[in-house]
Amino acid sequence: MRNIGLIVGREYRERVYKKSFIITTILMPLLMLLLSAAPTLIMEFVDTDTHRITVVDESGLVAPSLKSDKEVEFVISDKSIADALTATADDESSFGVLHVGKEIVANPNDARLYTTSSSSMMLEENIASQIEKVIESERLKAYNIENLDEILDKVEATVHLTTIDKNEGISSTMASSLVGMLLGFVLYFILAIYGSMVMQSVIEEKNSRILEVMVSTVRPFEMLMGKILGIAAVAATQIVVWGVLLMVFSAVIMPALMPDNIIESVQQVQAGADVAALATQQDVAPEMLTALASILDTGHISMVLVSMLLFTVGGFLLYASLYAAVGASVDQAQDAQQLTMVITMPIIFSFIIMMMVMKDPNSPIVFWCSMIPFSSPIVMMARIPSGVPMWEVATSLLLLYATFVVCVWGAAKIYKVGIFMHGAKPKLRDLWRWLRY
Amino acid sequence: MSNIITAEHITKRFSAHTALDDVSVEIPRGSVYGLLGPNGAGKTTLIRTINRITLPDEGRILFNGNPITQQDIFRIGYLPEERGLYRKMKVGEQALFLAQLKGLKRYDALVRLKEWFSRFGIEEWWNKKVEDLSKGMAQKVQFMVTVIHRPELLIFDEPFSGFDPINANLLKEEILRLRDEGATVIFSTHNMSSVEEICDHITLINKSKNILSGKVDDIRRTHGGNTFSVQYKGEGKALTEKLQHSCEILESEESAIGFSSLKIHIERDEDIRSVVAQINDTVEMRQFTEIVPSMNDIFIRAVNGVL
Repeated sequence: MRNIGLIVGREYRERVYKKSFIITTILMPLLMLLLSAAPTLIMEFVDTDTHRITVVDESGLVAPSLKSDKEVEFVISDKSIADALTATADDESSFGVLHVGKEIVANPNDARLYTTSSSSMMLEENIASQIEKVIESERLKAYNIENLDEILDKVEATVHLTTIDKNEGISSTMASSLVGMLLGFVLYFILAIYGSMVMQSVIEEKNSRILEVMVSTVRPFEMLMGKILGIAAVAATQIVVWGVLLMVFSAVIMPALMPDNIIESVQQVQAGADVAALATQQDVAPEMLTALASILDTGHISMVLVSMLLFTVGGFLLYASLYAAVGASVDQAQDAQQLTMVITMPIIFSFIIMMMVMKDPNSPIVFWCSMIPFSSPIVMMARIPSGVPMWEVATSLLLLYATFVVCVWGAAKIYKVGIFMHGAKPKLRDLWRWLRY
Repeated sequence: MSNIITAEHITKRFSAHTALDDVSVEIPRGSVYGLLGPNGAGKTTLIRTINRITLPDEGRILFNGNPITQQDIFRIGYLPEERGLYRKMKVGEQALFLAQLKGLKRYDALVRLKEWFSRFGIEEWWNKKVEDLSKGMAQKVQFMVTVIHRPELLIFDEPFSGFDPINANLLKEEILRLRDEGATVIFSTHNMSSVEEICDHITLINKSKNILSGKVDDIRRTHGGNTFSVQYKGEGKALTEKLQHSCEILESEESAIGFSSLKIHIERDEDIRSVVAQINDTVEMRQFTEIVPSMNDIFIRAVNGVL
């Protein structure tokens, strides 16, 4: 145990005290926020100029209904199309000419936009939908129905289903699935980044020849366990720092994104208020409100977080031990590709199953995959937000951690043989042989 | 219980070849024991087996008379042939880490390391990174951490490779000093002069087999091969003709003015006195000496199978 502690300490310090680690740990959340804010920022700063479009409407129906906005300004002209084109030809402030044909109601394709530069899809969509509305209402008018507007208002309906789980209170399928998916992806990235870090580190040790000294001093099991736990601690440090930084940064940005009254409504929903009414009152989608409500529900979230933590750690440990075995059996990272593919396959498979969780979180295949250790971290993580019996979570966790210990033991065996193998690239069959050594 | 290590009938097979074939070795406590053999003979495999890095397919290793266990590893210091340290770590930090892994408390390790650093005159390396050290420097550091926990048994695999003569000498002195302090030293080498200087026992391994084992003095005597050098004045041709029936003439050098010399090999069952008499009869003999072979000769002859 003492040795494992020493090795954990060394692995941890070597990574955490590195300049590159400190820099990426601080810069990453900034980068993430910047990336997520980028589209809005670009919209704010880049696309501010308004396109001025001269409208030549031969039908006389469309032009009065066209609404100008930030993006586009319509200027109605009574010139003929040819004149309008020549008039705007030299005008730099003019974006183009919209020509609406005489029989636009009968022939909706009879509309053309002449531009001086290429137009955007959004602009075209905007214009087309405005014209569509005019045509539709014109066509409805042709039926001569009384009180048409009133009837239309009454007919319009949006349905929102609020699911109340008898055991857990409000739950939102959408939110659950999203949270589950997110957690699955987070785990995947953790595996990809830190798992291969374990592999790299083993290969490095092998190449720097320190290994022979190490294995003559400590048992391979201690060596591997120390390495995996050390890198797990590095991962935990980095993720915690990221989490804290992200929270701090978003505390500054969040109020701007989420007005107080919405937070208030979310609290009301948690208290059991009528979702639809609140939604219309606040002018937000009802789905959004329930999603937020169930995410911000502390009891629910702590259960999710604890399980997430346990499954993430377990999943990482399990896969890290496999990565370590691969690292022990090759000389260079390039040679590891074929073997790492064997490791990534169950991860990708888990993702496919995770998609099935969205359809039915309790189907047999999903159930079994959330029990089998190699897929359980990702699949169970996706299931948990939608409510999973405690015994299932416990069994799955138990299996996961037991498999991890067995895997480290196996990896240690491969390690012991593999570290003294130089040159020839080992095949899966060789690994199997070393395992029984 | 005079043997610190007893290897009994060790056999180790790898998929392509047999690295050790029924090798038995007894290493007396307090000795400096040389493991000799050409490249690929199986020396390193034997060392790794003693160290428990690899397990033998057959046979067993006894440490102080009992089958060796993981706990005994703390009583062994091992310097592998392929030296290596964590390149990114600082020298002192690394030495401290390795010393603690060998069971030393942090404080004890620190005290002893400071002592060794000043003995080697390398105090200023403490905060250097390993990757900034030269190969020889790194070897010194590695030697230090090998012996830091004052193990009963020290195993050095090719300790002199990569050292300049001055440092090789320093190392030799340290090895002898450690022996005087009570440690047993096993080392493998190709460097025969170092074997004569510091080893008192050797084992010669060739093609996975132990072909020669024992005290250096005994081996040199028994495998002396009854070779003699003769210096004389007189007619060489007559002498060689006379001797040809009783012994084998290895070298012959004639000189018209000074003394001629002859190197002969006498079969074991031949009476040396009669050979001397024959020489006396033919020429004026000035010198008759037995040539005690160097370990180098024995090594080469043993490996070529003519011993």
